[in-house]
Amino acid sequence: MRATGGPEIAVGDVLLSVEAVSLSFGGVKAVSDVSFDIRKGEIRAIIGPNGAGKTSMLNIINGFYHPQHGRITFKGATRSRMRPHEAARGGIARTFQNVALFKGMTALDNIMAGRTLKMHANLFWQMLRVGPALKEEIEHRHRVEEIIDFLKIQDIRRVPVARLPYGLQKRVELGRALAMEPELLLLDEPMAGMNLEEKEDMSRFVLDVNDHFGTTVALIEHDMGVVMDLSDRVVVLDHGIKIADGTPDEVKNNQAVIDAYLGVAH
Amino acid sequence: MLYRETGQFKTSYAADMAIFPIRQDRIALYVLLAIAFIGIPVLDALQVWPFAGEYLLRAILIPFLILSLAAVGLNILTGYCGQLSLGSGAFMAVGAYSAYKFGTGVHLPLGLFDIAIPALPVLPSILLGGVMAAAVGILFGVPSLRIKGLYLAVATLAAQFFFDWVFIRVQWFTNYTSSGSVTAPELNFFGLIVNKPVERYLLCLIFVTVVALLAKNLVRGNIGRQWMAIRDMDIAAELMGIRPLYAKLTAFAISSFIMGIAGALWAFVYLGSWEPLAFNIDRSFQILFMVIIGGLGSILGSFLGAAFILVLPIMLDQVPHALGIPISVETVSLLVFVVTGALICWLLIVEPHGFARLWLTGKEKLRLWPYPY
Repeated sequence: MRATGGPEIAVGDVLLSVEAVSLSFGGVKAVSDVSFDIRKGEIRAIIGPNGAGKTSMLNIINGFYHPQHGRITFKGATRSRMRPHEAARGGIARTFQNVALFKGMTALDNIMAGRTLKMHANLFWQMLRVGPALKEEIEHRHRVEEIIDFLKIQDIRRVPVARLPYGLQKRVELGRALAMEPELLLLDEPMAGMNLEEKEDMSRFVLDVNDHFGTTVALIEHDMGVVMDLSDRVVVLDHGIKIADGTPDEVKNNQAVIDAYLGVAH
Repeated sequence: MLYRETGQFKTSYAADMAIFPIRQDRIALYVLLAIAFIGIPVLDALQVWPFAGEYLLRAILIPFLILSLAAVGLNILTGYCGQLSLGSGAFMAVGAYSAYKFGTGVHLPLGLFDIAIPALPVLPSILLGGVMAAAVGILFGVPSLRIKGLYLAVATLAAQFFFDWVFIRVQWFTNYTSSGSVTAPELNFFGLIVNKPVERYLLCLIFVTVVALLAKNLVRGNIGRQWMAIRDMDIAAELMGIRPLYAKLTAFAISSFIMGIAGALWAFVYLGSWEPLAFNIDRSFQILFMVIIGGLGSILGSFLGAAFILVLPIMLDQVPHALGIPISVETVSLLVFVVTGALICWLLIVEPHGFARLWLTGKEKLRLWPYPY
């Protein structure tokens, strides 16, 4: 699964990099002078205490926030700011910290909505629902059913998502992001509020997405066990500043990280 | 036991995505269409009660069909795309007056060059009325890109007052008639003169059936999902590559197009001759109530809501007379207001999502019947 457009990037090369990015809201500095990169095919974790600027960082990457300084390079193209539709077209998909599904639609329709960018039949055909529109609808239904099978949510396809339990909503949201066939998948606390079993399921899905589809994953997570097991490299933010970057083992033993999490005697 | 889809296996996605995937629903629809297209004209021809004297057709069925059409239009905008609008009356008026101008010939002296279009036949006039309404809808939909909810409702209210004013003050639209009231051209459809109530009824029925089918196709296709995505979570929708500009403006355009056609039919087929008052703010509210009571985000709900808001008061009006209770006409009409109002409150408390949700719940229960779960 991969999105079209842009140059091919080999596994292990830099897919996205942010350089010296700063973002402030009025006087509050959410992110200051942060640089890191995400390499193709890896699972990259962004961690940090509450209010460290992790979600702001994701919002910058997919164009929802525009940083005041710094540059973002995605698939070789450098921009000072990303726009949401550019990010989506370029192959960046995401899930949200608080589930942001389309509440009034069924699980199936939610995931189908993820294919919007890939559907091109015009309104005339859609209105008659014949020819290209019907063909396209069936074709994309096929792909969506594959995702439904992959996530094992066959039995809830027709259920309006507002009625689903939290764990399943998170899974449908992952499905909706996968339907975009992203090259870079941003997961904002995919395991928040889950019990152990659900966390294990979700971790398995994240690993499978990375393995089977070769999707690069950037995730924010508070469960250190999950982060250390899943990720290839970890970047640590605190108060909007990058304090560490490296493999899970390096980060685990970094004094600045330990101080940030446990506090330090003054 | 009757309503159960056991044994109806789908072997293709096309069958699974049909409008009515369940056989019983399809049969019910065919029966309903047969009654509407064949049964009612036959009963009318035989003059069987309650069809004697054209009252039912002229005062109930024709306005019901036309207002259902308008409700379908508003439901696309408010129910599916989540953009609250109080301008339905204005869009209907634009449809009606544009159709009137196209039907009687447009002459616009602009000094340098004159625009002169000869009088067009009725069908193109009505459709062009819809197109003009769509253009106006897009124009008044532009604020929706920046404002939401009640603030947008106020912006659409501006459309309502603006067009009320335009059609009263700018006499060009009424062909300079002294009274401000205009009369529709003869309803000539390719040589077929539509005049009797039953013919007018069938004309409306054809329009409503076709538009409802096309609208249903749109809302269950890609654009429908985009509209609902914008309605439910616009930020997530935008980050998935759905363009709010495109989704909202298509909703405004298509919704206004349908309301414009409904307005043209209301003027040409139901009223015959009319004044701007026919499309005032009361009309906007009436259609909004139909959509809310019927069910936001449901094509079927538009029809149920229209039936409730329009037909119920008329029915209630007949009750005391039918029972032989001797009370004055004024008291009855006051009582109708009280009872209708109370019923609306009761319904919204019991089922805030309207008749469409009641209908769905009923169907779910029916599938399990006689077991409770």
